[in-house]
Amino acid sequence: MGVVTKAVNWARIKSPWILHFNTGACNACDIEIIATLTPRYDLERFGVQLKGTPRHADVLVCSGPVTRQIKDRLVRIYEQMPEPKFVVAVGTCACSGGVFQDCYNVMSGINAVIPVSLFIPGCPASPKAIIDGVVKLLQSLEESEAKK
Amino acid sequence: MSFEEDIKQSLIKKFNYLEPVIRIQRARRIFLEVTPENFHPVFEYIAKDLKFSHLCTITGLDENEKLSFIYHLVQDPGIMINLKTSVPKENPVIKSIIEIFPGAEIYERELVDLFGAKVEGLPEGNRYPLTDDWPKGEFPLRKDWRKKNA
Amino acid sequence: MHNSEEFKIPIGPQHPALKEPESFSVALKGEKILGIEIRLGYNHRGIEKAAEERTYIQDIYLIERICGICSHSHSTAFVQAVEEIAGLELPKRALYIRTLIGELERVHSHLLWLGVAGHEIGFDTLLMYTWRDREIVMDILALLTGNRVNYGINTIGGVRRDISKEQAEEVLKAMDTLEERTKYYIELGLSETTLVKRLSGVGVLTYDDALRLDAVGPTARASGVKRDVRKDDPYAAYGEMDFKVITEKNCDVYGRTLVRLKELMEAYQIIRQCIKNLPEGPVTIKAPRKIPAGEALSRYEAPRGEDVHYVKANGTEKPERVKVRAPTLANVQAVKQMLKDRFLADMPIVIAAIDPCFSCTDRLVSLRQVDSKDKKTMNWQTLREYSIDWHRKQGIDFKKLNQKLKTNV
Repeated sequence: MGVVTKAVNWARIKSPWILHFNTGACNACDIEIIATLTPRYDLERFGVQLKGTPRHADVLVCSGPVTRQIKDRLVRIYEQMPEPKFVVAVGTCACSGGVFQDCYNVMSGINAVIPVSLFIPGCPASPKAIIDGVVKLLQSLEESEAKK
Repeated sequence: MSFEEDIKQSLIKKFNYLEPVIRIQRARRIFLEVTPENFHPVFEYIAKDLKFSHLCTITGLDENEKLSFIYHLVQDPGIMINLKTSVPKENPVIKSIIEIFPGAEIYERELVDLFGAKVEGLPEGNRYPLTDDWPKGEFPLRKDWRKKNA
Repeated sequence: MHNSEEFKIPIGPQHPALKEPESFSVALKGEKILGIEIRLGYNHRGIEKAAEERTYIQDIYLIERICGICSHSHSTAFVQAVEEIAGLELPKRALYIRTLIGELERVHSHLLWLGVAGHEIGFDTLLMYTWRDREIVMDILALLTGNRVNYGINTIGGVRRDISKEQAEEVLKAMDTLEERTKYYIELGLSETTLVKRLSGVGVLTYDDALRLDAVGPTARASGVKRDVRKDDPYAAYGEMDFKVITEKNCDVYGRTLVRLKELMEAYQIIRQCIKNLPEGPVTIKAPRKIPAGEALSRYEAPRGEDVHYVKANGTEKPERVKVRAPTLANVQAVKQMLKDRFLADMPIVIAAIDPCFSCTDRLVSLRQVDSKDKKTMNWQTLREYSIDWHRKQGIDFKKLNQKLKTNV
């Protein structure tokens, strides 16, 4: 592995850039994601930064059960992200469809549309759960990095 | 006499056929039902002359052979008239009310998408709330509609 | 590109900060917005149909999840309608607790909005300040209901949790802190040049337009329309509360900010009254499982405006029809009016000001020359080729540049 790749991987683990995308959620998970980034919980101290465009993002944070209309957009955003990319499903809806399972306009879960790396259940997932999830994702990245 | 009773009397005075179909359910809630032919004069009278100037929303209902639409109108402050009209399900045509309430456009689109109502006078525009590739002739809020396991 | 031509830019549905995905198609001439088309429905999940297929008790949880920010508004509006059909007379203590939670929700929602508005105008310090203070009210909500968001406190016939004396004291303490902070924000709102200059005269909605387009909530009240369901059509315990309906005559985003800030102060007063006058007694009465046939309409003043629920019962365990009209839908038409002939740069804050808290990344997907004769649409590829070509004409050749880069690596 070249020095450059090593540096890039190090930077990615130390400061993952995330993109938040509402795929038809009720906003509860979304405000908890934002709460995680603001002073009380302050996920930014781990280097996590919220970005506005998929082209800058390493991690796609999705909330919501994926509505029929958002499906194509979700796939498109996923495709626009540079490799390697990770998807985090926040909230029970994003994991399985939650209370909206079997609704006619819902695809039930992010997993039904794009591959998911990490599931954080909860209705809504509390900021503590989200931090725990992010730490676990970073740990697993570090471990797979060490194996190389 | 209460405000509600006043409104009821003035409605009956203007349209005497309303007497059996008007009811005051509780304070500030008046329900009445009219035939589609009588709908527009009554609606206009309520909206313009009685100054029920705020349209809350339009509710669609599937009642087996017919589709019903309830227009929820509010007079400041706080008295609400729920004006209901029903049309046959095979040919559910209603007239648009966007001339009186421009804000009603989105509610009417909802009726078109979810109930299959045909709204005369509704301009072309983006559909709401279903997707563009939603199959034609499928109206999810009708009672006989079931989700197909695609 | 040329200033003289008109263009259509699609904005959304993906955006960085928050909330509902919506898509806007904006017709532009230079920087000026000529017209705007809104495409909603990205969040349409089919809740109304699902509600018909579930029992009333299940529906409370479903309807609470229409919106995570005003979850208490929706569930209260729904249970109120069901209670009216069933003819239930609720214990007063239950009504007071509902009012209390409703106002706490308003506090959290307005603080949230203030932060988002700050973010939209590039004033991120305000976002961090308000969201830090918002955690105080989130703690209180978690203390009283067991959950930070989606409180699950309503049930048909009352509320599911009582409030103890110690909890009440905690609430009062928190209100004192928050009131201090809000006073600071009001002072900030009145004197901070960044806020005043950026928000004044932006997103104007005149009194007549607000009436004509049926605007609701703070959006309408900032245009001088004195419309508040809590006063006009009192529900829960609002009939016994002493509070003012806040209106402003600014008609712009600045006015909407002031309305929300002042409403926060009113909310603290209502919360204090709820705690002080909390009647003794049970918090719930037994409700039947099957609701008798009938219909009812319930209105609720959510933080964003009037929330309307229509419920029709048919004598079974499941409702015949549930219709929900959330406040944002009523304000969508007003947004079109606010943005007409305004600048594109104002769009995020104007849309955020009705509080769907919309902020957008401008993702150019297709460009269309609106009024030119050949209405050609450019997709990504042709757009890319067009831009490479354009740059080449300016003397920048990416091919050479790319080769240069490659040889360097």
